[in-house]
Amino acid sequence: MKEELLSVGIDMGTSTTQLVLSKLHIENMASSFTVPRIVITDKEVIFRSDICFTPMLPDNRIDAQKIKVFVEEQYKKAGIKKDEIQTGAVIITGETARKENANEVLQTLSGFAGDFVVATAGPDLESIIAGKGAGAHTYSKEHSTTIVNIDIGGGTSNLALFSHADLLDTGCLDIGGRLIKVDQHTHQITYIAPKIEQLIELKGLGQKIGQRVTTVDLQPIIQEMVQLLEESVGIRPQSEFYDTIVTNKGLKLDRPIPCISFSGGVADYIYNEAPEDVFMFGDIGILLGRSIAASPLFNQMKIVRAVETIRATVVGAGSHTTEISGSTITYTEESFPLKNIPILKLAWADEVGSEQQLAKTIADKLNWFKVNKDLQRVAIAIEGKKNLSFQEVQKYARGLHAGMAELIEREYPLIIIVHHDMAKVLGQTLYALLNYEKDVVCIDSVLVDNGDYIDIGKPIANGKVLPVVIKTLVFN
Amino acid sequence: MNERDLKSMIEAILADMVGDKVSAAVGNPQSSTLQSTGTESVRPTGNKPVVSDGVLDDITEIDLRKQLLVEDPYDREGYLKMKEKTPARLGVGRAGPRYKTITSLRFRADHAAAQDAVFSYVDENFVKEMNLIPIHTLCIDKDQYITRPDLGRQFSEEMIATIKANTKNKAKVQIMVGDGLSSAAVEANLRDIIPAITQGLKMYGIETGNILFVKHCRVPSMDVIGDVTEAEVVCLLIGERPGLVTAESMSAYIAYKPTVGMPEARRTVISNIHSGGTPAVEAGAHIAELIKTMMDKKASGIDLKQ
Repeated sequence: MKEELLSVGIDMGTSTTQLVLSKLHIENMASSFTVPRIVITDKEVIFRSDICFTPMLPDNRIDAQKIKVFVEEQYKKAGIKKDEIQTGAVIITGETARKENANEVLQTLSGFAGDFVVATAGPDLESIIAGKGAGAHTYSKEHSTTIVNIDIGGGTSNLALFSHADLLDTGCLDIGGRLIKVDQHTHQITYIAPKIEQLIELKGLGQKIGQRVTTVDLQPIIQEMVQLLEESVGIRPQSEFYDTIVTNKGLKLDRPIPCISFSGGVADYIYNEAPEDVFMFGDIGILLGRSIAASPLFNQMKIVRAVETIRATVVGAGSHTTEISGSTITYTEESFPLKNIPILKLAWADEVGSEQQLAKTIADKLNWFKVNKDLQRVAIAIEGKKNLSFQEVQKYARGLHAGMAELIEREYPLIIIVHHDMAKVLGQTLYALLNYEKDVVCIDSVLVDNGDYIDIGKPIANGKVLPVVIKTLVFN
Repeated sequence: MNERDLKSMIEAILADMVGDKVSAAVGNPQSSTLQSTGTESVRPTGNKPVVSDGVLDDITEIDLRKQLLVEDPYDREGYLKMKEKTPARLGVGRAGPRYKTITSLRFRADHAAAQDAVFSYVDENFVKEMNLIPIHTLCIDKDQYITRPDLGRQFSEEMIATIKANTKNKAKVQIMVGDGLSSAAVEANLRDIIPAITQGLKMYGIETGNILFVKHCRVPSMDVIGDVTEAEVVCLLIGERPGLVTAESMSAYIAYKPTVGMPEARRTVISNIHSGGTPAVEAGAHIAELIKTMMDKKASGIDLKQ
């Protein structure tokens, strides 16, 4: 049995918006004599769109209408219909995520792009998606090593650390190619981002808006930016300004990182020679790229060439966001897709306690999800056990059943997400406790955490598995 | 290095080699047995062996996937990552051209567990506790069971009468359990898999009756049960031939209206049910759904796949 899923990825970034179409190949890898094990076996990008500037309205809001037109044009160019899109993600990144109408645009667009195209946002997720799109995740697996990918865009540098195919950490710095803008013709500085201005002042470097500059004049501040990047991966001791430049958090750096790869628009000028006109984009992107190539980042670490540079994020959104649930799961209704469901992940201590404790913890924590005393839909996530007895399954089910009483009142199905392979029996046990009257969706082999959201698509592979997207929805 | 040094070095090496040969000869099983019995017989009788309360560590408790015996590996972390993905005995190191002692001992311990699983019987109390109806095939003992597969799939007239008396005729599902080649598998998984199957079937409105337990059971005995009970679906849970990875692996053979002489292709099998494979509870839930699918499609085995 082989199946294909057509997936779309759309990235609305600080400077550009782009789209890719990918094919995800799905196959049952188990022999005929065991329970099925359906996995994504291959991901291929089949269409790359033009890259357009992210359209903005005069009042500094995102022009959703223009983006819709762009998406429609690209679908036509690719020769596919919207109905054929089975999964995918729209990600809103960098500065664009901070716009007033970011969430609204994101939700409209995800609905517009396809039935199960999910909305995503957040600096950590951005780092992960870019790192996977750049191929760092695959590299760490194939070479059994640890690698950091830095996706350097216009406004931010997103770091993702992978080791042996596992994501270890993420970080984000306010360093990017468009934080200083330079007029293409006059070579006058037209814009300096606030944090960079602060850095110039601190170091007494003197670059100012309106100043006519040469590459030599800009070198000192670009050097500072490169050194901050060196600090971010642990090859230079952290300076006083490091904490300021960090967007939300940096890497923990508890172990040396042997390999590094670069993606994002700036990466092209790290891996390749600079063109003659370094100010051709009206910013310092090319200079930043060249400086990184000449820095210890390039000499002290093993350089891995990213499989995607400027398109890493969009390829990541198209190819690396959809996952497949475990192959033995329970769902008793089919009103998929279920979208934007926040996750309540229980602490391990609560899980291994008595069923009363489990129930009480769930009931208590559900209060976090109340808006105006009204409970939203929530998916309850547990770790589960690798090998549990039927008694333990029942204990889990009774605890969940009692704790989710308030959710049972709602019209939505009960949604349970388990890490270990036990969702089919747990779902059936819960369904029995509910007298087969309340629908249950219980899936496993999916890793989630508090603060995540989950989207669940329509069943695939003869109904054996559900496609899911685990994501964040964080707007700055 | 001068000639004399070289000469003395060669002499030393030769001496080592000869010494080795001597010890190898002593190490050969026959001579060592002779020697040890010899020493025992001359041991003074007054020197009685001391019995201590100490217990040797159970070496089968060691998780092989986490045990790397290679000395000074180039990439320990990478090796362990690889070992995580397979139960195969990778990275066992060596002592000269041979296995290390711990590897040899573990191999023999696992092999012994496998043999025990084949030659031991499922505890009668366990059969009672699980409320199973005990029956047996024509085999009279384990030796006959191993050597006469044909007898492991037949029942006596009286036994067939017992089966009829204790089962519902034309039931939707008849569940049966067989010791097969691993009694350990039955005892390890049954408590968890049976309630998971019955609960799952109940969800589809399917009730299960008495469950049979067949001693000296081969898979095709389920065909006889199919003919005798005329059940729509027969599900046989049976101990798998043990290997060195686990002696507790169970399979479920399920067939739609099985009958004696039917092609093997009509059986659907879910194998590898054990703590390191598919968990028993999850397998049970899956089996329940599979049985329901068979009833809907009125087919099993290869026919179900088409």
